[in-house]
Amino acid sequence: MENERENERENERENERENERENERENESKIQKNDIIIEGMDIVRTFRMGEVQVRALRGVSVNIRRGEFVAIMGPSGSGKTTLLNQLGILDTPNSGKVVIDGTDTSTLPEKEKGKFRLHNLGYVFQDYALLPELSAAENVYLSLMMQGKSKAEYESAAAEILTAVGLGDRLAQLPSKMSGGQQQRVSIARALAHSPIILFADEPCANLDSETSKEVLDLFKKFNTEYGQTIVMVTHEEWHAAYTDRVIKLKDGMLEQ
Amino acid sequence: MLEKAKVSFFLAGRSITRGNKGITIFTIFVLTLIFVQLVLFSSMLAGVTLKFNELMVDYQTGNVVIEPEEEQRYIEDASALQKKIESLPRVIGTTARLKTSGNFRYKEKEMGGTVYGIDPTDESFVTAIEDAIISGEFLSRPDRGEIILGREVSGGFGALMESRSLGGVEVGDTVELTIEGKTREFRVKGIYTTRYFMADASAYINRADLEEMLGVENQDLAQEIAVRTTAGTDEYETRMALLSLGVRENIRTWHEFAGILRLIENTLGLIRNIMNAIGLLIAFVIIFVVIYVNIVNKKRQIGVQKAIGIEQNVIVASFVLQAMLYAGTGVILGYCFMRFGLVPYTVAHPVDIPLGTMSLKLDDAEAINRAVLLFLASIVGSVIPAYKLAQKDLLELIWDK
Repeated sequence: MENERENERENERENERENERENERENESKIQKNDIIIEGMDIVRTFRMGEVQVRALRGVSVNIRRGEFVAIMGPSGSGKTTLLNQLGILDTPNSGKVVIDGTDTSTLPEKEKGKFRLHNLGYVFQDYALLPELSAAENVYLSLMMQGKSKAEYESAAAEILTAVGLGDRLAQLPSKMSGGQQQRVSIARALAHSPIILFADEPCANLDSETSKEVLDLFKKFNTEYGQTIVMVTHEEWHAAYTDRVIKLKDGMLEQ
Repeated sequence: MLEKAKVSFFLAGRSITRGNKGITIFTIFVLTLIFVQLVLFSSMLAGVTLKFNELMVDYQTGNVVIEPEEEQRYIEDASALQKKIESLPRVIGTTARLKTSGNFRYKEKEMGGTVYGIDPTDESFVTAIEDAIISGEFLSRPDRGEIILGREVSGGFGALMESRSLGGVEVGDTVELTIEGKTREFRVKGIYTTRYFMADASAYINRADLEEMLGVENQDLAQEIAVRTTAGTDEYETRMALLSLGVRENIRTWHEFAGILRLIENTLGLIRNIMNAIGLLIAFVIIFVVIYVNIVNKKRQIGVQKAIGIEQNVIVASFVLQAMLYAGTGVILGYCFMRFGLVPYTVAHPVDIPLGTMSLKLDDAEAINRAVLLFLASIVGSVIPAYKLAQKDLLELIWDK
């Protein structure tokens, strides 16, 4: 009897400890999810096209949390790519600011922006934008070389990430010898090789058939769920949105209410 | 810093090895031609200068010439002085000459020229006039009343100033020679050409004949003693050795007689410099155009490189390295073509020029100088377009916005 009571008490204590651990994990997750990694404030971007001023973004404010997979959607000319370029500091807004992981990027000089992109951000472009004279592995490890990593480090990192995207057997292949889907996977591997805090993708499936598009989106989802990779993706396909946590909708350069 | 250089080398290397082979070959070919053009004129000039020098030494002055003391018309005791000079270890031979201007007459034609009175045996130790005979024979010691004419005097045999010559004198003909009012007939024993028109406008007679005409027989007088030294002997050292022998006469090296040749050489040098400047300008423009076309085609790639964080100066350096490699390969190929192709060919098969035959002479210091200039042109020609493009806005590079 004494032993049974003792066991019950022990089980209760164990359950309590398990509950505490579960609560801690939930809290951590909440903190993580609520941790704002990109803060875009009142972004205005105007382009001059001949004599005409085109207001591509008219004061857009967005927050993106760490670990989120966000889609930016909207009709053609709504400012999706322009917003992605501002958030990814490929362009500088006329007014407003973009704070990434606590760094106000609007105050950074061009050279520092380059360094910031090199170490913290990854990009996947619509037409893959691979360097045609470099092999798959070389395309992937170029930014790691620039970071000053050793040959052994960058070669193994490139092999690892290319294997993760299913191209472990095509390290030495040139882009011209690859299909569109394979090239886009190399492009994703390049964007992720240096473990960026955010991955930006501008219509990554625009040039791919639906089967290959699904493979690419599955890859994004895998990196998002398994590694907590923050992803901001521009797309105009409704079914792509199903892969994301949230959709930011734009219309005429403003957030759609 | 090192990683940046590494990335620049990496990008440049891949661009060359995996880029458009046709463009690479064409660029290197053009740069090779430019380098050859830059050194060719210098080599020709060096070859011509060498020829000038050989002509002076071989057919006129020997290495050193001894002339009478100030205000003296003749060198006295010429044969004693010759013996004294010949005692020097590096002296091959000496020739004591009488030298004057005379008037030649053949049929109705007349012309003036320099007449040398020589000892034919001594002369053969110093100059190569004997080898330059193209018709007849050279003088021998006992010959009297015989004359050797240069082709510019005799005419014919491809003389450059035919109309000024005696118009076709041949061996065996008789010409009249007037010196200081005395006229004598001479039988033409031989005709020579050095292919150097100044040396070919002279005539040689036996020294005894000229002594007679000048009225200085058996006095052992000379107006110049030409001295031939072993190959490679420095003329200034010979002059010092002669001075230390106690020679009081005026000692001049052959360089001092090359006045008009130096003038021609300097004129050609000026032309060479102008051609070099034009050649470099062409090199600069070609490199500029090639790199510009190359990088305009890679505009988007440059944008992508900038987007992923490759620094602008790393991108610019990769293009400059490519241009330097093109220039370096062009220089090496051009140098090899000259050193192992064209120069040995012209040595084996000399080119005919009005002065005679000429071979190219490649001066390594000049070649290095041209190589450096071509390198600088390639750097400037690549930096400007690469820098201008790499500096453009990212969006403009990637999306042409």
